[in-house]
Amino acid sequence: MKPLPRNPEPILTLCTALLLAAALYAVFLHAPAERVMGLVQKIFYFHLSCALAAFLSFTTACAAGVAYLVSRNLKWDILGAAAVEIGLVFTTLVLATGMLWGRPVWNAWWTWDPRLTTSLILWFIFASYFILRSAVEQRQRRATYCAVMAIVGFVDVPIVFLSARLWRSIHPVVIKADSINMAPAMVTALLASLAAFTALWVLLLQRRVRTLALAERILTMEHRLDREPALSTERK
Amino acid sequence: MRIAWLVIRKDLAAELRSPQAMVSMLFFGFLLLVILNVAVPAGARVAPETGAGILWVAVTFAAVLGLARTFDREKQNRCLEGLLLSPLSPEALFGAKMAVNCIFMGISQVAILPIFFILYGDGFLHAPVMLALVLLLANTGFSATGTLFAAITAGANRNEALLPMLFFPLVMPLIAMAVKVTSMIFAGAGPAEYGSWLQVMAAFALIFTGLGFLFTGRIIRD
Repeated sequence: MKPLPRNPEPILTLCTALLLAAALYAVFLHAPAERVMGLVQKIFYFHLSCALAAFLSFTTACAAGVAYLVSRNLKWDILGAAAVEIGLVFTTLVLATGMLWGRPVWNAWWTWDPRLTTSLILWFIFASYFILRSAVEQRQRRATYCAVMAIVGFVDVPIVFLSARLWRSIHPVVIKADSINMAPAMVTALLASLAAFTALWVLLLQRRVRTLALAERILTMEHRLDREPALSTERK
Repeated sequence: MRIAWLVIRKDLAAELRSPQAMVSMLFFGFLLLVILNVAVPAGARVAPETGAGILWVAVTFAAVLGLARTFDREKQNRCLEGLLLSPLSPEALFGAKMAVNCIFMGISQVAILPIFFILYGDGFLHAPVMLALVLLLANTGFSATGTLFAAITAGANRNEALLPMLFFPLVMPLIAMAVKVTSMIFAGAGPAEYGSWLQVMAAFALIFTGLGFLFTGRIIRD
């Protein structure tokens, strides 16, 4: 049996905690309040950081999918599953923080802007990844199907964005989310927040991979126990 | 190539003997056209956007019924293993199944479209050639994505419910573009206005056909 992946580095956990604290300080105390939007604008730092983490997750999942199909090593499947799980959480957070910001600023919870539409469809694609995962019993087969799903989903995202943008180029977009000029202190806060979330992402991914690998080990052990009749009756 | 043609002929012959997929696709398509009528206010003229939306919901939902049956016949009596033992490559099998799905969708649309124009007014009937081109591009994209995921769901449990859930999120951009172009055609716009849309639709069809050929071997062998 393969050795377990090493215990999550306590140093990494500590670093993430410190970075998050620093990011909170930078966002709420160091960066000035936005003139028009006021405090609501603070959500932007976390919104963008979550989006970065989600992007990292899905890129990792796609890369892990390719790696699995090439190498047939189940550790890539575990990495892919962990990445999609975390990515789904962060995409949900992106959508939620976006709505919370949009309600006071755009006066609507939701608009069919290309970015919003793309994130929502992205959410659906990777949520269906888990439906697929739960529907396939056999281990190798599940890994192959999920790898294909992750790659195809990742390839689909630019097309979704392109089609959504074409749609809007005919109906002009009134609100552009990216044309915000930021004060230097705001840039600092944004960078701090991005760094903190990246660290958090690495930490979560490592923990999740470890948990899934442990679950895998337990499954293998149970299979072995079932195959040895003496042991399995003893267990019952 | 020749052997893929044999698979296509086999599937078409089987469908002619007992038209299971065709009947359910047509019946469901008609049914949807009638059900979606509730979205139209009584006595009001249907806007081009609404009309295009209704048409594409009927067409895509009918198409999914056909796609879900792609590998049904091969699962009976372990025919899939037989096919794989024959000198047929998985890629050729994918191509054949995709072509069969495309043909089924085309036939069902030939029947659904006239009903649509009868129920929702023939004022939409502009540029039938362009409409056929949109349908062809969309069918290619649908059948590529659909055949790939039909191969996946054929190996999964509860596959009937699984296919739409995997299929629709991925083809959402294709449906959105098809609805857009169709509504422009219904409104009487010229090809210059929606040319770029057709290009993206063609790109989608091409990309997913490529992905299908790339992954189908791995999926079917597992």
